[in-house]
Amino acid sequence: MGSYLRPTSLPEALAALAATPRIVLAGGTDYYPARVGRPPEDDLLDITAIPALAGIAETEEGWRIGAATTWTEVVEAPLPPLFDGLKAAAREVGGAQIQNAGTVAGNLCNASPAADGIPNLLALGATVHLASASGDRVLPVAEFVHGNRRTARRADEIVTAIHIPGPKRAARSVFLKLGARRYLVISIVMVAAVAEFDEDGTIASARIAVGSCSAAAVRLPALEAALAGQRPDPALVAEAHLAPLSPIDDVRASAAYRRDAALTLLRRAVEALR
Amino acid sequence: MPRVSLTVNGKPVSAEVEDRTLLVELLRETLRLTGTHVGCDTSQCGACVVHVNGDSIKSCTLLARQAEGAEVVTIEGLAAADGTLHPMQEAFREYHALQCGFCTPGMVMSAIDLVKKNPQGLSEQEIREGLEGNLCRCTGYHNIVKAIDAAQQVMHGKVKELPRAAAE
Ligand SMILES: Cc1cc2nc3c(=O)[nH]c(=O)nc-3n(C[C@H](O)[C@H](O)[C@H](O)COP(=O)(O)OP(=O)(O)OC[C@H]3O[C@@H](n4cnc5c(N)ncnc54)[C@H](O)[C@@H]3O)c2cc1C
Ligand code: FES
Ligand code: FES
Repeated sequence: MGSYLRPTSLPEALAALAATPRIVLAGGTDYYPARVGRPPEDDLLDITAIPALAGIAETEEGWRIGAATTWTEVVEAPLPPLFDGLKAAAREVGGAQIQNAGTVAGNLCNASPAADGIPNLLALGATVHLASASGDRVLPVAEFVHGNRRTARRADEIVTAIHIPGPKRAARSVFLKLGARRYLVISIVMVAAVAEFDEDGTIASARIAVGSCSAAAVRLPALEAALAGQRPDPALVAEAHLAPLSPIDDVRASAAYRRDAALTLLRRAVEALR
Repeated sequence: MPRVSLTVNGKPVSAEVEDRTLLVELLRETLRLTGTHVGCDTSQCGACVVHVNGDSIKSCTLLARQAEGAEVVTIEGLAAADGTLHPMQEAFREYHALQCGFCTPGMVMSAIDLVKKNPQGLSEQEIREGLEGNLCRCTGYHNIVKAIDAAQQVMHGKVKELPRAAAE
């Protein structure tokens, strides 16, 4: 039978992980349902009582989202329009009870192809901060998420925070997701976009990411390049920009449908950036 | 076995639990508070919703030990000592917001949290959206929404008495 640890400091937690492999537990909203009725037999390390992992803070370079930050905390935090996309995702992760428990970092570490947080973090240019008893490291989200439920995290590492760089100019963001229903469904396609604007209203730079259309969410560099220097115009989105996507056929949608829906959502996202 | 200490419905409780014991198992099996139901094993149905430190939480998705030191309120903790129902319970009764009743405890706990967190008042649409995490197989939700709308008026002090349901 598994054992349960709930350390109240990071060094304690890291020492425990260095000693024996354990499953890191945050909100548990991915962990418990994945057991489907089986009792949780694993050795668990609950990280929610560690003060160093709590909360959202403004830093010199931008913002820090501690690993124990819940989706409800994201919704309630006073954050600039740069975060409108992440907030929109937060409001749609499960229902209120899931948002009260589930964390942004848990969504990232679980690395589901349909995780709503990941395209937003890619579009925000976020970095993942990892700690272990043998040292810390920082990885961009794209290098952290390797594929379907695969990440760069070593078994002895804890994600301590996600950092979001502050924009250099006025920034706006949007998140759109398509599911078979509006609520409580796994996304068929989602699009996250962040753009910084010059004073004349043209896009200085944009980051656009698509989820659920490949094993891990990806950015669309060709589309980002096509948007730079232009005013937001849905007509700028071309089918060729979808080249990095490799959607699959599954119970929720066919690959062709996903591709078509991605194109439509991308156009709507660009429209919404206006 | 490890011991967990918490407050349940205002009373201090201490019990021996296995590490793997879920909060809902502690409530139902150890404390015999069987008003909290289990309707699924995928954290989806919401029959198990209780309040932990003032927030609605799915008690099937939390270990008992994760609630160490927490204030937990279950459906049994809502009515006053003299048996007077909470306005939300009263409204569910008045508006026929239940049929088999399986989803009801979770529904009521979620609804109370939803109303409390929205002192500005909720539209019908917002009530429906706020119930996203609670599934009901019987009622079609219609009367549940009506009940919550009536209860929010009492809970926010807009009316003294629960508006009566229209005879249908
Ligand atoms: C009913 C329901 C609806 C849902 N709806 C959505 C939805 O609409 N969109 C969506 O994207 N997701 C959804 N989810 C999935 C889930 O709620 C989210 O992914 C949530 O953000 C997970 O966070 P958590 O803290 O609960 O993770 P946990 O379950 O605690 O952890 C998830 C994984 O990440 C690891 N982990 C967590 N934190 C760390 C850390 N700091 N360091 C290292 N490893 C860590 C854990 O070991 C585990 O493998 C839903 C889940 C349920 C039950
Ligand atoms: S029992 Fe279904 S959500 Fe908890
Ligand atoms: S009343 Fe039967 S499930 Fe809701």
